[in-house]
Amino acid sequence: MSTKVAESTTSVGNASPEKVPTLLSRLLGNQQFLLLIAFIVLVAFFTTRNSVFLSNGEFANIFADFASLILLGVAETYVIATGGIDLSVGATSGFAGVVAAFAMRSMHGSEAVVLIVGFLVCIAIGALVGVVNGVLMNYAGLVPFVATLVTLGAAGGMSIVLTGGAPIGNDPNAIATTVSIIGPFSWPVLVVIAITIISGLYLHASRFGKYTFSIGSNEFASRAAGINVKSHLMKVYVLSGVLSGITGMFFYLRLGSGAPTSGAGAELSAIAAVVIGGAQLSGGSARLSGTTLGALILTTVTSGLIIMNVQPNWNQVAVAILIAIAAGFQTLRPSKRKK
Amino acid sequence: MAHFDETPLYEARNIGKSYGSVIALSDVSLKIHAGEVIGLVGDNGAGKSTLVKILSGVYQPDKGQLLVDGVEHSWKSPHDAMEAGVETLYQDSGLAPDLSIGSNVFLGRERMRPGILGKLGFLDQKFMEVEARKDLEKVGITIPASKRNVSQLSGGQRQAVAIGRAVAWARKVILLDEPTNHLGARQSNEVLGVIKAAKERGLGVVFISHTLPHVLQVTDRIVVLRLGRVVKDAPTSEFNAESLLGTITGLSGSRVEEDETEAIA
Repeated sequence: MSTKVAESTTSVGNASPEKVPTLLSRLLGNQQFLLLIAFIVLVAFFTTRNSVFLSNGEFANIFADFASLILLGVAETYVIATGGIDLSVGATSGFAGVVAAFAMRSMHGSEAVVLIVGFLVCIAIGALVGVVNGVLMNYAGLVPFVATLVTLGAAGGMSIVLTGGAPIGNDPNAIATTVSIIGPFSWPVLVVIAITIISGLYLHASRFGKYTFSIGSNEFASRAAGINVKSHLMKVYVLSGVLSGITGMFFYLRLGSGAPTSGAGAELSAIAAVVIGGAQLSGGSARLSGTTLGALILTTVTSGLIIMNVQPNWNQVAVAILIAIAAGFQTLRPSKRKK
Repeated sequence: MAHFDETPLYEARNIGKSYGSVIALSDVSLKIHAGEVIGLVGDNGAGKSTLVKILSGVYQPDKGQLLVDGVEHSWKSPHDAMEAGVETLYQDSGLAPDLSIGSNVFLGRERMRPGILGKLGFLDQKFMEVEARKDLEKVGITIPASKRNVSQLSGGQRQAVAIGRAVAWARKVILLDEPTNHLGARQSNEVLGVIKAAKERGLGVVFISHTLPHVLQVTDRIVVLRLGRVVKDAPTSEFNAESLLGTITGLSGSRVEEDETEAIA
């Protein structure tokens, strides 16, 4: 009475049961591998155009830009894995930076204490926006796109209202933290990289990550399996807010002030990094390594175009082309998926 | 069948459920004993799916009681029912296609890593992949590799995994809502085999199907629902294909409607 699901271990998932996939075809079907190749090619290309590109100073710039983007990309990876979207990440980071700047300006204490308080304020503001997103979805019944569009407007608008449009604070101690300490890395960049690695391990190896994917893959099945979907989504959007808040602190450190427009539009770059990284926007499937490579490629192209003296306005066009190529690859790739 | 005088594994008493002015179920009672396969049949709209969703904890009844081993329970969620040993296979696949077979078998019941990593929320993925394979084999389902995503399986294979998961975890009762739907003849027979295996393990099985020959073949007792009421609850031996169809439609003659003919074919 044995139900044979498949005759042999190789017959499921491959078009032809006889053929074992070669290493080459496996690698070509692997988005992360292709992205890594693309990244190396881009670095090589920009280096041949201008040898400054490989210099320590330029890499420091690239990693600082990367660090401004990647946590928003991490946030968006978690959210997109659930089948949602968070449009508020950029505005939240700017808003958190502004509120933290007000708090830090009013403080008198050692510089380290001031910065730590700023960091905690950023996390709190980010979490607050995440809770608002969660409440709008879980209790007001808004879809993620609309809920986070509301908070994008609210956070972005509040930043301008509170500051009158001008940056808050002038903090040389903050800028001092962004000096490279190990190779091209400053300590805030190292912190961001550490958070990224932990977030990746957590997404792909923890129960929290498993539920994040299962909800994006089949919400009914997740609920039927006993997962509290509403509560989990709330946590994911709070996580997204917290990561946005930390990015706000990073902006503050780079600029030495809380600028209301920092982070404006960053949600689009973050979503671009996730899409280039091979995630499925309908949810259920995403890799944080893909998002990381996507963010690296985006920041490399941006810096490379500057070094080649290409007018900065072309940057957006370059990003658009990258998204188109990545999306095209996903549709062209021999599909592993059914339905 | 004297042991059916014992306390049923799972019992629904006088269940009522309405949506606004529409009465979906009215005064429905059902007893499920250990090692018993019950066929739950009825025309479309008779209330089968509503009843299953009440038994599995997806919906809460307006009236009536649910008893497991004679003890009254009320499910706030499907998870409560699962905890009490009641597993359900839903009509539309209850699997997450982007997750592996192993992850699906353990969804909601993950095994954590030992020690500090487990406390931090990290999963023992390897253990789950290995155990999932064993669990499915135990109920007669052989899978190629439990690391594969469910999206890579065919419809029949997915159904086999879903049933295997329900049978493997069930401690008392499994509710199977149209498990042979969309399956070919060979795969349907395999599903019926899994049902018999579950019965032999002493589980109570509720089998909901439109395919009456399957119902007649595998069940011990048949409960017929019509317009939200139980119109007949009798041993399967008291039915034949014609009388069963007549009871379902409420037409005493042998008038066979077109879609039913298809179902039998």
